[in-house]
Amino acid sequence: MAVVVLLSGCEEFQPVFTGKYDVPEPARIYTDADFGTLTSIADVKQMYIDNDSKPYDIVDNCVIKGQIVSSDKTGNFYKSFYIQDETAGIEIKMGKNGLYNDYKIGQWVYVDCCNLTVGAYEGMIQIGYKDETGEYETAYLEHQILIDLHVFKGAIAEGADLVQPKVIAGEEVYDKKNVGTLVTIEGLKYLNKIFCIGYINPNIVDEDKKKSNENRFFLDEEDPDNWGINSWAMSETCFRQHVENGDFDNVVMNDGVTVGARKHLIVPQPYTMNQYFEMPGLSGARRYLQVRTSGYARFSDVDIPAPVLSGEATVTFTGVLTEFDGEMQFTLIDLSGVRKADGSPWYDENNKVIL
Amino acid sequence: MIKRVLLTVAAVLCSLSLFAQSDFGGVKGKVVNRAGRIPIAGAELVLSQNGENVASVRSDAEGNFLVENLQNGIYDMKVTAPGFLDANVNVTVEGYIKDLIFVGMVLEQVVTDVDDSNFAEFDMEDSGFEDAPSILFGSNDPFTNIASFGFSSIRFKNRGYTNESQDVYLSGVRMNDAITGYSPYSLWSGLNEATRSKETTVGVETADESFGGYNGVTNIHAVPSSVRPGWRFSALTNSALYRLRLMATYASGELDNGWSYAFNVSARVGGNDWVKGVYYRNFAYYAGVEKRFGDYSRISLVTFAAPGQRGAQNASTQEVYDMMGDNMYNSNWGYQNGKVRNARVRKTFEPVTLLKYKYSDDKVDASVALLWRTGKNGYTAMDWYDAPDPRPDYYRNLPSYYYMEDPDYDRQNYQKYAWALDTWQHQLPQYTHINWDRLYNVNAGNFDEIGLRRSKYVIEERRVDQNDVHLTANVKYQLNKAISLAGGMTLRWNRTEYYKKLDDLLGGDYFINIDSFAERDFATNPAMVQNDLDYYMSKGTAPVVGKGDKYGYDYYANVMDERIWGRFALDLGGFKANLALEGGLNEFYREGLVRKGLFAGLDDNGNEIVYEGKVLTTYDSNGKPITSKGRSELQSFWTYSAKLGLQYHFAGGHRVYANAGYFNDAPTFSQSFISPRTRNSVVPNLETIKTVSTDLNYQYSNNGYNVRVTGFYTKIMDQSDMMSFYDDSQNSFTNFAMNGIDQRHMGIELGFKIPLVLQGLSMEGALSWGEYIYTSAPRMTQTIDNSAEVIADNALVPYWASHPVYKKNVVEGKTVYETDAKGDFIVEKWQKHYVPSTPQFAANLGLNYRTNSYWFFEIDAQYFANSYLDMNPLYRTDMAVAGPDNIATPVEVEYMAAQERFDPVFLLNASVGKSWYIDRKYNFGFSLNLQNITNNRYVKTGGYEQTRLIDSKSAERYYRFDSKYFYMQGINYMLNLYFRF
Repeated sequence: MAVVVLLSGCEEFQPVFTGKYDVPEPARIYTDADFGTLTSIADVKQMYIDNDSKPYDIVDNCVIKGQIVSSDKTGNFYKSFYIQDETAGIEIKMGKNGLYNDYKIGQWVYVDCCNLTVGAYEGMIQIGYKDETGEYETAYLEHQILIDLHVFKGAIAEGADLVQPKVIAGEEVYDKKNVGTLVTIEGLKYLNKIFCIGYINPNIVDEDKKKSNENRFFLDEEDPDNWGINSWAMSETCFRQHVENGDFDNVVMNDGVTVGARKHLIVPQPYTMNQYFEMPGLSGARRYLQVRTSGYARFSDVDIPAPVLSGEATVTFTGVLTEFDGEMQFTLIDLSGVRKADGSPWYDENNKVIL
Repeated sequence: MIKRVLLTVAAVLCSLSLFAQSDFGGVKGKVVNRAGRIPIAGAELVLSQNGENVASVRSDAEGNFLVENLQNGIYDMKVTAPGFLDANVNVTVEGYIKDLIFVGMVLEQVVTDVDDSNFAEFDMEDSGFEDAPSILFGSNDPFTNIASFGFSSIRFKNRGYTNESQDVYLSGVRMNDAITGYSPYSLWSGLNEATRSKETTVGVETADESFGGYNGVTNIHAVPSSVRPGWRFSALTNSALYRLRLMATYASGELDNGWSYAFNVSARVGGNDWVKGVYYRNFAYYAGVEKRFGDYSRISLVTFAAPGQRGAQNASTQEVYDMMGDNMYNSNWGYQNGKVRNARVRKTFEPVTLLKYKYSDDKVDASVALLWRTGKNGYTAMDWYDAPDPRPDYYRNLPSYYYMEDPDYDRQNYQKYAWALDTWQHQLPQYTHINWDRLYNVNAGNFDEIGLRRSKYVIEERRVDQNDVHLTANVKYQLNKAISLAGGMTLRWNRTEYYKKLDDLLGGDYFINIDSFAERDFATNPAMVQNDLDYYMSKGTAPVVGKGDKYGYDYYANVMDERIWGRFALDLGGFKANLALEGGLNEFYREGLVRKGLFAGLDDNGNEIVYEGKVLTTYDSNGKPITSKGRSELQSFWTYSAKLGLQYHFAGGHRVYANAGYFNDAPTFSQSFISPRTRNSVVPNLETIKTVSTDLNYQYSNNGYNVRVTGFYTKIMDQSDMMSFYDDSQNSFTNFAMNGIDQRHMGIELGFKIPLVLQGLSMEGALSWGEYIYTSAPRMTQTIDNSAEVIADNALVPYWASHPVYKKNVVEGKTVYETDAKGDFIVEKWQKHYVPSTPQFAANLGLNYRTNSYWFFEIDAQYFANSYLDMNPLYRTDMAVAGPDNIATPVEVEYMAAQERFDPVFLLNASVGKSWYIDRKYNFGFSLNLQNITNNRYVKTGGYEQTRLIDSKSAERYYRFDSKYFYMQGINYMLNLYFRF
């Protein structure tokens, strides 16, 4: 017996610890001291502009520090977050879901940009990995080792250090410096105009067929009822409901056939949508602020408050100012960024309208 | 026994009067232990001719025996004694009393200490991988003896049949799981001594105390009087499963006052040489007491359990194994503060209690048994809420997600590929194993408004807690010498609660009980995402759960099983026949204990459930409300089965026998619900499984020769199956409920043991060569746990049983498919699809040598081939084969529908052992077993296909996700030391 015990004793009897595990040490908090000279976000954005607005692969030492101002918790931001310093804001293309679990609003992060690429998507300058396929100007970091090599978490800012939204108005909205930062825009009026590209079958993989006249329809003309859409966007369930209600039946597609005639072919999916608001002090198309909301956002199906829809009341937005091909867009982090003229919220924590 | 002697005496007396004196003789001798020629008292000697017992005697205190008045001729003499191996001697009677001088016997335990059940313990269910020991236990059958132990590491399935078809009885009570049908060997694992005594049958053969099925019956006696008397201690170390097993056993045997006692305890602890993260911390106990009343009655009370926990292994893709350079890589564990922690731990404590009354006299054997199984059975797993997938081998962590050579995969990110590859090739633990530190940090940083930490990652424990009560009565009546009647009935009630319990908050303060994925689709309707809608509607919030609280799903599986059987057996000496019938009623229903928001159903008054003016109740395609709470419809199945067995003994130990059976089995609960965790909906077209099975056997057993050849043919029809996989794209389980699966199993089985020239040396062999195929195109219903949508509704799976292989030529390195005059592709043949996860060809050839000084040596060479990977139904549908363009090309058909065949394998195993005796009273010894001596580490034993498709850039076809595999371990040892007195 003793021999067996001795023989087997060579191996530990607890190859897997089965007692109470110690709680791991908190993750390391990086500070400026870990990085030496820091580059400003504006300087990094300038690298792109100086490169004839073409993607620029950073090969020199370049560490930026910024505070996170967005969150993907509600799903309106997806796989990335925005950081900003006193010079500018920029999107970091992380490439993972549920980023808000690891990266909090107000948290300082250091991004080692060496071997990353600064590029743009329809005018929005971003930092990401080099896109070898050439499809986009930058790619997501995506793999954890790339994130660990380039993105370092610092402390969470408190009090006066916490970035406050900058209140902007009029032409300030078109100031490139504000793009990609946390802003507040006041006194917006609902325009009763939406934009959404619908598909009969969104699952078609071939891009040409997907975008063909027989498959794609537009919800972009001013319609007195907006086809019954009063929400920020449409989840799959919400879209299906509209289809079943026949809300889109009279939409004429580019080949002259109505959506109603192809109703039986429709495959519902969530739809990202732009709701148009009018900015005070501007005119023509420059007065448009498109509030763009993802169909995957938790609040996509929440209705815009009735007094706003009817034009009786205005709204103040706080969120990230974005750009799409020269047009200004606005991305809400959550519905707490939708407030009344007096600064009080339009929605409670359960996304119910407060009248 | 007494009866048999009396009969024999009568027969002998009878024959005396018929034949002249000169034609008679006899035989005498002394039964001894071959080592030391120590006499064996009480050995039973049975002489038979043409399969008919002629005489039977016992050796006296000095081991002497004498049989007289035997007609001249050749007899088979079988000698049996407790603790010794059976011996067979050929005796020729030639008109005088022949003195055999010594009949030597070999002690039994030198063989049995290489115990099949030592190795045969695998994880069942829940990992996408189901398995169990090939054949539970050894027996005197030459094939089963080898297959039960020697084939277990390759996960051989007897005749290709599923584990559920293997009937396992405990003291006459059928123990197969009421919900899944699995043979529940884990209930008594580690109790090798208490469960050693058993009887087994093979194939369709009928057993003594039961009707049985088509895959043999094992009946473990388990009562104290069946445990070998005396003390016994053993210590075992092995490299395959756990480092150390310590076991102690005592049995009193029957005392003069009629009482018998027995106990058996064991501990199994430690890890193994191959799979990190896998460990045992298992204990087992058995205690039994038995009392004889008068000459005929006995009452026994037995209780046992095998409590403990052990870490589980997971399957990964070949890409992962190759990068890690190890086919034993296990993705279930990671370091927490430098200590290995496994996320998947099986924790069980399921005590079984048996009360049995038995009556035996000359004509009647009757018993009544009451058995109760209860306790808990848990399996932990990671659970997470709206946070990145923490599994290290998640496909987006793998290089193949970033780069594939074929541009049609649209994965051309070579640099990311290189980085990902780097993490694996350097085996960086934070990427290649679970990163516990990160999970704790996420939870610790997730403060809510009031400063408490809401956990995003937790460990859940999936519980399957059974309450299983059996009442079984059996009776056997010997009407006369030729005819016996047997029968029995059994009533069984089972209520099993399936639920999830929060096992560890991983540094957080609480967890919220909602369906995290439904929340994405129904974000603006909080009622829809509730796992417990009633709670939400009364309290206005989802339940907050802490450690030990139930959450997720919670339901009862209720099963009632009633059976009655009878058997008529005819024994005309050389010719034997039996006919058995069984009828039964199997009923079950699901009873949901929580109302899920997605499947609200109707309230107690039959009204629709409405929340904030919105009707939550949904209906299926038949207009019935889809419900999660309350009782499902009762599923009732009447079953009836029949068996016929015929056999004939020829002179000289030859026997020919045949069995045939028709079986009608109810589908199990686990095969019958499309998504039992969430709703009461039942698989469409549910019906009983019909099986026709026949076998024809020849056996020769004489002079130490033991040979059996069997041919078998079985057709299984109308099976249902439920497969459940975690689908990360849905962050939920996706369920494939199949029905109408038909199979055909046919083949031959050969087992032999042949003595060679040298005394004590014999050659042993086993061969199983079959074809186990699917023969029907079943239908499947696909659902996801967190969606009301039925993705595929009873859709045909046309390529399940086979797929076409097209005629093709290779022209200048390119494959060109030929077409006929009409332009259609020419089908060259239909490739069959096989019943998976077992070699359909298995062979073993071994040499066995036993010396008079109790040494034994054994070496076995094995060859296994024709083993196939388990298929998923998705890849065999028109949708998957045709691709997004809906055009099924020959390339797509041959790629998507094909079934993977594993490479054949050659293995070498060896054993050595020795026993020592002191004063005839003390016995100690060892046995050492080496498995897979050539250290072959590339043997696939099973696995599964992932049920997801990859889009192609061309949009013309789909690609498969990589399959996941389990591999056999390399060289293993098992050393056992024992001491008994």
